[in-house]
Amino acid sequence: MAAILIVCIATVTPFAASTARAQAALPEILVSRQLFEREHLRVGQTVELARTETGKGAARFRVAGVYEPTPDPMRFAQERLEVRLHLGDAAVLLPADGSSPRSLTSINAALRRSADATGFSSDVERRLPGISARSTSAPDERTSTFTVLDRFHLAIAVVTIVGSGAFLLALMVMLVDERRETVATLRLIGLTRRRLVAQILVEGALIAAAGAAFGLLFAVAAEPAFNRFFQWRYDTALVFVRVTPAIAARCVLMAIPVGLAASGIAGWTILRRRSLLRVAR
Amino acid sequence: MSESQNPEISAVKAHDISRVFEMPAGPVHALRRVSVTVRPGDYVSVVGPSGCGKSTLLHLLGCIDVPTTGSVLVNGIDVSTLSDAERSALRLRHIGFVFQRFFLLPMLTASENVELPQAEAGVARAERRARTRELLEYVGLADRASHRPAELSGGEMQRVAIARALANGPTLLLADEPTGELDQSTGAQIASLFDRLNADGTALVIVTHDPDVAARARRTLRMRDGEIVEESA
Amino acid sequence: MIGRAIAFAWLRVRREPGRLALGVIGVTAIGALLFDMLLLSNGLLVSFRERLDRSGFDVRAVASESAVIAGPPIEDASRKLAALRGEPSIAAVQRVRLGSADIAGTPPGRHVTVAGVDLAAPVPWTILEGGMASSNIPEPLIINRNLSRVLHLTIGSPVVLNGRCGSGSRPLPVDATVAAIAEFENDASDALTAASSSSLVGALCGERADEADMLLIQSNPARGGPNAAAAAVRTRLPGLHALTNDQIVDRFSRVEFSYFRQLSSVLTAVTLFFGLLLIAVLLTVSVNQQLGEIAALRALGFSRARVMAGVLCESALLIGIGGIAAIPVGGLLSLWLDAILRSLPGIPADARFFVFTTHAVLVHAALLGAGAVLAAVYPMRLVAALPIATTLRREVVS
Repeated sequence: MAAILIVCIATVTPFAASTARAQAALPEILVSRQLFEREHLRVGQTVELARTETGKGAARFRVAGVYEPTPDPMRFAQERLEVRLHLGDAAVLLPADGSSPRSLTSINAALRRSADATGFSSDVERRLPGISARSTSAPDERTSTFTVLDRFHLAIAVVTIVGSGAFLLALMVMLVDERRETVATLRLIGLTRRRLVAQILVEGALIAAAGAAFGLLFAVAAEPAFNRFFQWRYDTALVFVRVTPAIAARCVLMAIPVGLAASGIAGWTILRRRSLLRVAR
Repeated sequence: MSESQNPEISAVKAHDISRVFEMPAGPVHALRRVSVTVRPGDYVSVVGPSGCGKSTLLHLLGCIDVPTTGSVLVNGIDVSTLSDAERSALRLRHIGFVFQRFFLLPMLTASENVELPQAEAGVARAERRARTRELLEYVGLADRASHRPAELSGGEMQRVAIARALANGPTLLLADEPTGELDQSTGAQIASLFDRLNADGTALVIVTHDPDVAARARRTLRMRDGEIVEESA
Repeated sequence: MIGRAIAFAWLRVRREPGRLALGVIGVTAIGALLFDMLLLSNGLLVSFRERLDRSGFDVRAVASESAVIAGPPIEDASRKLAALRGEPSIAAVQRVRLGSADIAGTPPGRHVTVAGVDLAAPVPWTILEGGMASSNIPEPLIINRNLSRVLHLTIGSPVVLNGRCGSGSRPLPVDATVAAIAEFENDASDALTAASSSSLVGALCGERADEADMLLIQSNPARGGPNAAAAAVRTRLPGLHALTNDQIVDRFSRVEFSYFRQLSSVLTAVTLFFGLLLIAVLLTVSVNQQLGEIAALRALGFSRARVMAGVLCESALLIGIGGIAAIPVGGLLSLWLDAILRSLPGIPADARFFVFTTHAVLVHAALLGAGAVLAAVYPMRLVAALPIATTLRREVVS
């Protein structure tokens, strides 16, 4: 029998089965780790599932095992109190709202070639009017949620970059200021302003690149700790932080222009004529 | 007569002081059992080759360093018995410093630089403004009061530094190579200013390489290898 | 001494406007972000609480503790409603049954959520147009503005509802008439929502079960308020889980909203640490550039405590000016961030992620105050440990 797994809303009550034989004859269910731990269940135990708080229409099941729910970013803050049961058994618990016991909420299909998903979906919708079929990778509400969160995080990153850019500029101005006499001497022995600006820009780019590289290394090193903390906090297997090549590239591409801008402005402040004249005095 | 004006009591007295710096390559004996007494109104110059311990002696007399052995008495008080805060208070009110590199605060004007130690000593604003004006006139910079150090010449900066050192009316003024960064003519002007100061009653100890400046003092201490090898009047 | 230190620090920063401006811009940007994270940490809860209170109901009873709405239904709802109406601590009770339906003209992929209630009891919506009292319509339908706009429905428009009851069932269409346009509690900005009687919602799927998804309760303030009403529900109907608005807010803060709370906590910590590090570096570089001047001031009689106080005051001024500027800047920034987050699907139209509270301003001030001290610790240590004689000697030689 195909093991179709159903997640349904129900109340769970541990139940003391009368005999081992009666227990073995009961339909089996899988229990989410969270529910298993919370209700102190054990494998092989008999439980009653009902869809109402009064226990009306309850059915007995035997706990056949425990599973880790598929991490769902949309529900990670919620406790995953779930059971999975065979489709036929689920019919017993279906709501008495007129739904057919033979109806399904959804059918998941695993294709041999995932690249065919879009074509397969169109084919299903054409052949079975009224059925909505779509690829799991197609954009849906979850996608838009994460698009919004991505925009939010990007906005925060922009503000952080503005703040750190201002600090970096202040530091560069102070550091370049320390070298005022050296710069004045180099100008006096004939180095052009452009040559000195180029040197300061290269230094700024190198500092920014080194900073970005260090930041990335720090992020990679902190990634496991960050994930472990939130996985513990939300009792989920979801991965919260992952430093991907795209994120690393974005980080470097944001950091280097900021470093260049800061060093360029700092270089300009020191190479102004008045500033050098003051040193010459 | 106050204690500080009593000629029997020295402005500063160093007795048998040594200063050893612990360096990675081994201890360096900067001063070896040196004794010096500076009385109120004294004018002492300290000369000698570089590294002979002149500045170290000045720092110990000015209570900004403590001897490894021996004692320093300022106005009769053993400095080693004082806390850091008490030594700071002593310097603020009784000792003035003039440095080779002036160390004026670049963001303050000449008058603000002179006002600073007075404000620290709790002098009322009106009083310190009057005193600052008087001091800047004394050093010949009344017209440069609102200029910042970067807008002054070396000699002018050193004169502001002298005015700042005199701000709280110290009985002892210590100067470390005060003409070291100046040309001969400007150095001579500063030396004249010191003469005038001493004539007005301030005890002076000047560390210098310049024989002309040293010759203006009533006493000259010649140092070598951390010791006073000659004292001439 | 502190007064003199503040005056001197102010003079210093004022005379170096470039450095002051850059430092202040940096602190303002970081401070604005910090302030926004403080607004975010509590904003959604404050907004949620306001919306709960505005509905007029202060206790909600559901059949399962696992979810406030999405749990199993409450059976035999009419009898339970009647039992609660007799409780002195309860002023009014309302039942809510949620269903889903299609109306001819509904955009593809979007369905109408229909709430079934007891129309004679206080209702969880605010009438904007039309009304229930004056209508003698047999099956009145109350719709939200979105539904009115999308389907061009006005008061008196006839509507045919097709219940969405699973692919295997084909319930008969239900006729209704628009009686009012209203604002519903917890409506998302793009939600299509309608409400009518419980019987109409039951009829959508041909059901006769006397069920409700939730009971809304107005407590009697003279008889113990919401806590007494919730206790009465638990005593009368032990199978139900009664939650006061406080408890719902608390639950949401722990579960549903915890992502934003965690995010704001993490970003607050990171922002604060980052800001501290930058200010500390700025002050340290500044102190290192002035070692000669500081040693000279010490030689002239400035005490160790005085020069330390100077560094602390400089830090406090930099962070203080930036921190004050951060509040209006953070306020403007929060409008932008709020607009971004409010485009999340399913967010109630009037929900706010960033809500200005005095508490947030006080925490902001306290964090920045502590930040000013912490950022100054290392540079203060530098000036405190500065050997005067050695520094003067080194500065002259260099």
